[in-house]
Amino acid sequence: MKNPFQDFRSVPYHKREIPLDRIVRAKEETLELLVQGYLQLVEEEVRDLVWLVEESKVEKAYNAAIKRIDGSLYDADDIDEFCALLDSSNKLPYLISGPAGIYISALVNRAQEDHIVLSPKDYERSFHFLGYKLPEGKTLVLQGDVGDFTGSGLFGGSLILEGSAGNWCGAGMMKGEIRVTHNTGQNTGEWMRGGEIHVDGTIQSVGTKFYGNTGYRVLFGGKIYQKGKLLVPRALVKEG
Amino acid sequence: MAQETNGALRETVRDIHRYIGDNLYFSRPDLEIKGEKFNSALFLTLLTGLRQGKALIIGEPGLGKTTSAEYVCSLLYRVPLGTIWGSEVSGHPEQTEEKIIGRPDLGRLNQGEEVVVWSHFVLLPTKIVDEINRLPETKQSMILDGVDRGNWEYLNDSVINREYCLFATANYQDGGTNTIIAPLIDRFDIMVESKHPGPNLAFHIGMTGANGSGLRNEELERGLHRILNQRNSYEDRMDQAEELCNQFGEALTQSPGVQTLSRSDRETIRSQMDEIPFDVDANAFLRLVLSELSFCYHYGQRRFHEGCADGCHFTSYLCHAVRNCISNRFPKSARTLSQALAWFLGDEQVGLEHLRAILPFTLAHRIQWKEETLARREKESRQDPLPIYMAKEAVREMHRRYIEQAPQLKSALAAACRITDGDALEPAQGDHPIYWEIRRDLGEEVLDR
Repeated sequence: MKNPFQDFRSVPYHKREIPLDRIVRAKEETLELLVQGYLQLVEEEVRDLVWLVEESKVEKAYNAAIKRIDGSLYDADDIDEFCALLDSSNKLPYLISGPAGIYISALVNRAQEDHIVLSPKDYERSFHFLGYKLPEGKTLVLQGDVGDFTGSGLFGGSLILEGSAGNWCGAGMMKGEIRVTHNTGQNTGEWMRGGEIHVDGTIQSVGTKFYGNTGYRVLFGGKIYQKGKLLVPRALVKEG
Repeated sequence: MAQETNGALRETVRDIHRYIGDNLYFSRPDLEIKGEKFNSALFLTLLTGLRQGKALIIGEPGLGKTTSAEYVCSLLYRVPLGTIWGSEVSGHPEQTEEKIIGRPDLGRLNQGEEVVVWSHFVLLPTKIVDEINRLPETKQSMILDGVDRGNWEYLNDSVINREYCLFATANYQDGGTNTIIAPLIDRFDIMVESKHPGPNLAFHIGMTGANGSGLRNEELERGLHRILNQRNSYEDRMDQAEELCNQFGEALTQSPGVQTLSRSDRETIRSQMDEIPFDVDANAFLRLVLSELSFCYHYGQRRFHEGCADGCHFTSYLCHAVRNCISNRFPKSARTLSQALAWFLGDEQVGLEHLRAILPFTLAHRIQWKEETLARREKESRQDPLPIYMAKEAVREMHRRYIEQAPQLKSALAAACRITDGDALEPAQGDHPIYWEIRRDLGEEVLDR
């Protein structure tokens, strides 16, 4: 077929670029980088599509995620875009809530900003492990309900949940603070070593596994408050 | 050598133009191109005649529509004025195919032979239809093919003109006029108005007259009449007629002293015109014009019976203001006449200025505006009849849009060329319909807006 544009063969081609194009392209490239990192993580960590919550496995996945994103330049908006993509896109075949949440947490923890707001209420799917290992100096605000293990392993950061959390909220947290405006599920604060959890609504149950071997059965290294009142620790029980 | 020929022929055409303007058709200039002033009716009919085109000349009665066409035909084709008068077709309701095109030779028919007696209108290269809009719409169809291709048929015989141009005149609508049917009006390359020359020139016309008697030659007219009435082949008759036409040309050189063109001169001029290329800007601008007059995002293209979709994004472009889709005859008219203009001015390329000058006259009769668009603009102050004024405004608007985005558009077309050649590039995007049409040409279904 005749090339209807052949009169313009000798005309130089300059891709017209407005500043917005550059911004959009940079955003797309960043997002693509984040997606690739996530896909590699999923490939490596959960090849069999079954993902069990074991502390070592979680730790390993988190470290792998940190490795993937190391050196990447992104911001809070990119994390938000990535969450939206995870939630809605068919491009990501392996959305498994656990690794996805761990990856998002790694992104939050390595982000340039100290204050990050995400809106789980905008997502149809529920993410677990949000706020995992949130470090000191970081504040993560989650608007909407979230899945299990929210704020687990919290490491000095401030997690504000404007909604309800699933089970094992703050599990194994080291230090820092979790504030939940609505409710938490079962085993809240399981394996908690330090820090505080404040819940304005109901707590289905607090964790029962203890930490430490000090001669006393110390249920919690941290404190859990419900509606402003200290819920645990209530007592020190002689191990025995 | 070619340039010398070109220059001499151009001077001859300029001589003809000057002679008519100075002696036969008194008019005010209403068109300025590259610093030269012209009367659009005279100048553009001259170019149309040279290009074997078709011109529709509109205007009030008695303002020189027919006579200007007669003078142009006579001098361009070396046909005496009396012969032209004898070949003219007048539009009236009782007009018949037998009077316009041809009739059976009754004497031969009695002998059992079917021989067509062709009208002089069909045989001569210069064709004038006076008051074409007085022909009823059903009878306008009779001349469609002839007007389009110079192909005339009657009974089982046909004549294909080796060279021809056609001028039709039309008065403004009154009780005796009909609408010119869309397929017929689209066949005209240009529409111009023969305007009132103003009271001072009109006074001069009244006092001295401009009857064109210098273009009469009764002896040659009789000779041509005899030749045209012969029963030999069209080609033989035309060869003989050409000899008399050349004699008429020589007579014109003697008196009134105007140089004219032989058939081979005209052919040379046409081939020179055909070789004049469009520069990149004129090329891109014409594409932009075509896109605005044919594009419809919602329905794929403009169609007469379809309006615009509710909430259409493209309301600031002409596609929103017109009812019909521009035909493929339009770019041909724009090309041939722009080339003729560039040739006349001695330019080596058709540029934006040539195209911009020609476009309103090639569009005026082809665009059917929506009622609301007409209502909005018909009372605006203007010097032209509404269709030509609207076309001039439309071209001005499109030209402005082109200037605003010329580099981007040319780059988009360059990218499209490379993509068609197989390069892995992204088609350029833009708001104007032309960008969407480029993407369609590249096989992208543009449905994602």
